[in-house]
Amino acid sequence: MDSENSACGNPNPNPTLGPSKLMLAFRFLRALSLVHRTTPASSRTCRGRRIERAAYASMAYSAGTGRGWSRAVLRRLHHRARRRAVAPRRLSTTAGNRAEALRQLVPGGAGMDYCTLLEETADYIKCLSMQVELMQGIVDSSSSYGP
Amino acid sequence: MEMNEDRKFGLEKSHGDHLSDHSSGVSADWQFNTPAMSAAPPHPSTAASLVPPLTSSPLLSAPVPEAFVPGLWNYHTMSVGGSNIQNTTSAIGSIPIGRPVAMSSKGMLLSTPPVIFPPSLPHFPADSGFIERAARFSCLSGSSFMEMNLLRPSQSVAPARKASKVVMETQVQNTELSMTGDKAVSLPAAYGSIDQSRMDTQRDRRSSHISNSESQETNFCEGGQEGNVDSSDVAGNSSPSDLGANKKKRTIRDMEKDQVQRGPQSSSEATKDDTETKHKVEQNSSKHGGKNGKDNSEAAKEGYVHVRARRGQATNSHSLAERVRREKISERMKYLQELVPGCSKVTGKAVMLDEIINYVQSLQRQVEFLSMKLSAVNPQLDFSVERLLAKNLRHSHGSPLSIAGFSQEMSYPQVYPSQQGLGHAGGSTMVNLSDTYRRTMNTQLPTMSGYKEPSMQMHNPWNEEIIMQMDYDANHPPNAQEINRKPDGFAI
Repeated sequence: MDSENSACGNPNPNPTLGPSKLMLAFRFLRALSLVHRTTPASSRTCRGRRIERAAYASMAYSAGTGRGWSRAVLRRLHHRARRRAVAPRRLSTTAGNRAEALRQLVPGGAGMDYCTLLEETADYIKCLSMQVELMQGIVDSSSSYGP
Repeated sequence: MEMNEDRKFGLEKSHGDHLSDHSSGVSADWQFNTPAMSAAPPHPSTAASLVPPLTSSPLLSAPVPEAFVPGLWNYHTMSVGGSNIQNTTSAIGSIPIGRPVAMSSKGMLLSTPPVIFPPSLPHFPADSGFIERAARFSCLSGSSFMEMNLLRPSQSVAPARKASKVVMETQVQNTELSMTGDKAVSLPAAYGSIDQSRMDTQRDRRSSHISNSESQETNFCEGGQEGNVDSSDVAGNSSPSDLGANKKKRTIRDMEKDQVQRGPQSSSEATKDDTETKHKVEQNSSKHGGKNGKDNSEAAKEGYVHVRARRGQATNSHSLAERVRREKISERMKYLQELVPGCSKVTGKAVMLDEIINYVQSLQRQVEFLSMKLSAVNPQLDFSVERLLAKNLRHSHGSPLSIAGFSQEMSYPQVYPSQQGLGHAGGSTMVNLSDTYRRTMNTQLPTMSGYKEPSMQMHNPWNEEIIMQMDYDANHPPNAQEINRKPDGFAI
């Protein structure tokens, strides 16, 4: 999201532990509320896409710029925000080679060697799972209170 | 006896052509040079004159010549076949001490060729140990026997390699005599791959001297001179003659293999053979340091084929780098195995990769799905935020690390859990949360300026606060609005 704060230029202070959950929560929630405020209620899909982008952005920001995939995500977001919505790539197993498929999945994986790719995949998986947990928590908490 | 010695000297010291010419000259040289090399007084007989220097050097020289003697002994018996030679053990022991010859001027050295076995002695076994010693003794210049031995342990790997090159070179020469010449051409050139800078010059020299057998000794001497210190190291390294024998055997076997596989040689073949030879060499060279073992393995591998030798060297470094890379990859795969649930029982890289890909895909799909869901869920956002934060804080309460890291990052705008708005929903929980939160924030951020008691009026402008904070930099001056002043201390 454009409105996402871009002050997180420092590499992750604790790279081995991964981004802190609290940081992720705050960023995402902030972005989420912003999306809800700015987008009209009619365009649900549009909002959904924006929320997804916000999720990735907050993930990338929390991870810091020390990670290749986070840099790639932010790069993609900043560049494409002007043109069109960032479409999450779904194509993967069409590639016969598994390494190629993984490269397509992990952002920024195209320019990495295999060794780095594995490392980035591990970090990416960690952040993704944290993001999913967070979003699931939000959904659960909100759903428990109302329709 | 004297005649035999002279004959032996002639055989060893000079080329077949120079036998008659230099035999006397050699002995004369020896007698001439003896006083120059040590304090021992010159003796009438060459053999006797050489013995005292040997015995006078107390340190390492004693065992060394003894080690040489049996080797030499074998050669002598084999080459000359005379039993009378046995009587002159002491003399023979002094034979390899070509130092007196070497100590003379270089011109003298060249004129008196070092120990190179003429083609007329094809049966002469190319014992690398003997050749090393001969090379060393014949081509050493200016270094005393003691120094040679003393220098041995202090040599670096590079000279050792060079020395091994020289050794192999001599082996090549000898094997060349016994086998086809074209093989030998490949062998010395093979050594060029050890060290490009040195190899080029030495290879040229070697190839040049191998091409014509006459000038062998000259070139050999040159090469030997260049690496005289190295050859001393070589001799020291291979003083146990069994290693030399192993190297020689291996070389010959490699050459035989090469004979058989003269045709197109696939790299895989070469790699396989190289690894085989390398393994064997490594087994045999367990005595020496790892460096020497590596040198020997390199040398043995290079004893294979000219073209392959270079690739052998490349394969060596490649294999090392690849091994490291493979280890890194396997380490990361193991880590991924732990991350991805249900992957612990999966074995094999391919299946693991499939699992990882599926997991990443599923996670991404989940994000998409949840974002769609969240687009619909907006009401009571503040509420859910606080509850969510409460959940998170409870989770992380046991692990203060996250909070500590969080506060250190200074990017978390102060959240003021409002108790008013939450009064209707689990207020007690929130109170605890707010207390905990305040305490945490107080302790973690004591230096925050402008820190005030959490305002109770932050609930309503929650969204605005967040939005406004988004626009602020860390250096943004505090806003006039009271709402934003408080979080400004924590502005991102």
